[in-house]
Amino acid sequence: MSTKVAQPSPGLLDSLWETVSKPWTDKRAELVLGALACSVLVLIAGMVIFVFVKAWPSFSHNGLSWFGSGGNVDQQLDDIFNSTKTGHGYDYHLRAWPLLWGTILTTVGAVVLGLAVALFAAVFIVEFAPDWLRRVLDPVVRLLAAVPSVIYGLIGILVIVPFVGNHLISAGRKESVAYVVQLTGASLIVAVLILTVMITPIMLAIIVDALRSVPRGWTEGAAALGVNRWRVMWTISVRAARPAIVAAAVLATARALGEAIMLSMVSGSIGFAPNPLDGITFFFEPTRPLAATIVDRADALSAPPLGQTLYAFAAVLLVSAMFLSLAGWLAKQPLKKYGAGA
Amino acid sequence: MRTFRLTTVAVLALAALAMPAAALAKPTITLSGSTSVAPLAAKLAGAYVKHHKVRFKILQGGSDIGVNDVAHGRVTLGMSSRDPLPSDPGGLQFNRIARDGICVATNPGNPIANLSQEQIQGIFSGKVRSWSQVPGARIGGTIDLIVRNAASGTQDAFQNIFMGQNLRVAPSASQKPSNGRVQQSIASDRNAIGYVDFNFTRGLHTVPYKGVSCSLRNAKSGQYGGIRNFWLVSRGKAKGPAAAWIKWIRSAAARSIIASNWVPVK
Amino acid sequence: MGRESTSSWPLIDRIGLGLAWAAGLLLCLVASAIVIYMLVRGVQFLRPGLLFSHPQPELDQTKSGGFLDPLLGTFILTVLGTTLAILPGVSIAVWLSEYARPFWLARAVESGVEVVAGTPSIVLAIFGLIIFSQHLFAPFSFTAEGGAVFGRSFFAAGAMMALIALPLIVGATREALQAIPRHVREASYALGKTKAATIRRVLLPTARPGIATGTALGMGRIAGDTAIVVILLGASLQLSSQGSGPILSTLRGTGSTLTSYVYNNSPAGEGNAPEKAYAAAFVLLLIVITLNFAVDLISRRRSAPAWNT
Repeated sequence: MSTKVAQPSPGLLDSLWETVSKPWTDKRAELVLGALACSVLVLIAGMVIFVFVKAWPSFSHNGLSWFGSGGNVDQQLDDIFNSTKTGHGYDYHLRAWPLLWGTILTTVGAVVLGLAVALFAAVFIVEFAPDWLRRVLDPVVRLLAAVPSVIYGLIGILVIVPFVGNHLISAGRKESVAYVVQLTGASLIVAVLILTVMITPIMLAIIVDALRSVPRGWTEGAAALGVNRWRVMWTISVRAARPAIVAAAVLATARALGEAIMLSMVSGSIGFAPNPLDGITFFFEPTRPLAATIVDRADALSAPPLGQTLYAFAAVLLVSAMFLSLAGWLAKQPLKKYGAGA
Repeated sequence: MRTFRLTTVAVLALAALAMPAAALAKPTITLSGSTSVAPLAAKLAGAYVKHHKVRFKILQGGSDIGVNDVAHGRVTLGMSSRDPLPSDPGGLQFNRIARDGICVATNPGNPIANLSQEQIQGIFSGKVRSWSQVPGARIGGTIDLIVRNAASGTQDAFQNIFMGQNLRVAPSASQKPSNGRVQQSIASDRNAIGYVDFNFTRGLHTVPYKGVSCSLRNAKSGQYGGIRNFWLVSRGKAKGPAAAWIKWIRSAAARSIIASNWVPVK
Repeated sequence: MGRESTSSWPLIDRIGLGLAWAAGLLLCLVASAIVIYMLVRGVQFLRPGLLFSHPQPELDQTKSGGFLDPLLGTFILTVLGTTLAILPGVSIAVWLSEYARPFWLARAVESGVEVVAGTPSIVLAIFGLIIFSQHLFAPFSFTAEGGAVFGRSFFAAGAMMALIALPLIVGATREALQAIPRHVREASYALGKTKAATIRRVLLPTARPGIATGTALGMGRIAGDTAIVVILLGASLQLSSQGSGPILSTLRGTGSTLTSYVYNNSPAGEGNAPEKAYAAAFVLLLIVITLNFAVDLISRRRSAPAWNT
């Protein structure tokens, strides 16, 4: 007698389990993973769109002179905020040059200084350091890269800024700019120095990798011709590693641009454009880069129109960082020839 | 398969546990605004939640930010340490909860014995630029001015009480976004002078104004000149949990909390 | 073979050598100065009580409370951010290294990951604020009396932190996958497994140390980030949960982490208690160093499996 066992029709849970447990076809796996990968692109597009939509009023109101100079930028930011009180519509007038100038000074200063240190230190690590020192330097560089920016800022604001303010800036210097700006220790030079310490490890890692992957035949051939070790490194390895140096500089610039917390703690929190014509005092003048401005005024983010102005700052940062990241990625492509840095 | 079924059931049960709780959720009151009022609000909130089912979130940013946020419905109540201005958005109700004082302060290395209103006006407007021109100063050198930014109610109050209608603070003065930062700046700079809420004077030398020292006792007795109001601002008349809290603040239990460091209102 | 003596070198080369030595020693000097200073200050100000007591919102911060809540906040945020980042990170890495078709799309995704890696965390933070303040995302934080979505919670901060960890996980996993020789994959196909099954059963388990390295690196960066916390975590001193249900309520609520605690207690914030800032900074530094040390251990253990025996 045939016994027909009635199968219960597959319930929801069962069919769910079927889809998950059956081995995935290659096609499905590729589609799903590909979709996830594209979500990165969607995310970036979303970021750009959202930030620009919020920032648009500030740009459209000022046009290209948004980037120009004219007037006290802090006063303008306050006026923008106060414009919510009157019923005449929002005022977006802004000339952001002092902030841009502060950003350029700190970023370029730190990258140039850091590149010099990173280059020489990389040569040292690859060629000249005794073994024990090389083993010490490895964790040292990783440590410097891993220290959180708020700790750099803490040491800066509690140790370095008072030192500069009380011991390095003389009373006469303070008087010379008395009515224009106050010189506390929080200044351009402290910001540049600490930022240099923060970005040097990044550049160092890339350059060391590139120096190490220069074909040995080249360096040994030069040594066989009687060139001394320093010259071998300098004229051959460093030359060959030029794409890496460019990539390192570009990536470090992106990092320096985005540093907000440390700079808001030590750079002086005043939207002032340091004047190179002031001589040595130029280094002691306070400033405030774009990212630090956003952090300092973060309470106003949800209040238009000042919030929209802050989003405009973020838009500038976003676009610059995107360009720099893409440029760094492009610069790293030729390195793949040598197998250095992925 | 069994493990899959079991895990699914377990996850759904956990989620189910989370749902009905929504019905019992405590209301949340958000505040933003004055950095001077914030410590008082935090203390009052802390005492209130012991016996009432409410939650508080306190942000800061300065009185103007608080007024602006509550006018746009971004927070439940705004904290303001300045009186209502004609330029404030419409539809707001200011509820007074306490009175408080502003002290002019200098670094402990420069203990000035007294300042009159003319002297304060001269110093803060930038007419007087060097400590050697200030009688009673122990140091020389430039005067470093530490003030608050434009969103601050304390700055408003300082302007109205000390500077008067015609004089403005020098544009080179260093603007700080909160009382705490002003306090820190003055404490670390010997040439500094600024103004703070009198609960932020630890580590500073408070300068007597018109001969009266800046203290809670003198503020309560009315002798000290630099007194201003603390307000909780609501959009229209306060409703629900916010109204209940404001009513509690005006009760005797809250008065004793206020009286510890501030001046209660009658 | 003796090393050449540098006295025979032209002056400029000797200067170069001297600069190289100076740069190397300078790095050591700066690093040891930072470590020693934080050690001294940390030991000076860190009391075990601080680690286990809740912060109190008192006026005089030097005498009140410790930083238990910020410590928990760092822990919660790090775990949340890493958890949210692992699945997308590994998936993207697998797609980039195993499939990568069409070619232009793969390059676009690769550069996209680089762009995310290079985006300043402050920009990510305010982007997160825009997203989570929309009413669509109200379940991820809460709505205040008065109608506005608060937009700041552990969920919001965790989501943005995941973006910070994502490029690190993608990079490390890709490296690990690319280190597996081709013949392993070919052997698996020869045995009849599909590509998907090969990835799942052969490649990913082998790449586990690489994934772990990336995860630990990501955790280190999340633990050290301040900008996202300051903007997206709601700045309440204590962990303040929202709604109920055991875990979900904490994640929807606000709190603080060690980084925002250090920032707020420094002269840049409100708390004006540098002693506590030093103590918390010391603990934070220890956590970050431990995570990096873990990365070292993992990558050392992953000496290549014996493919060639």
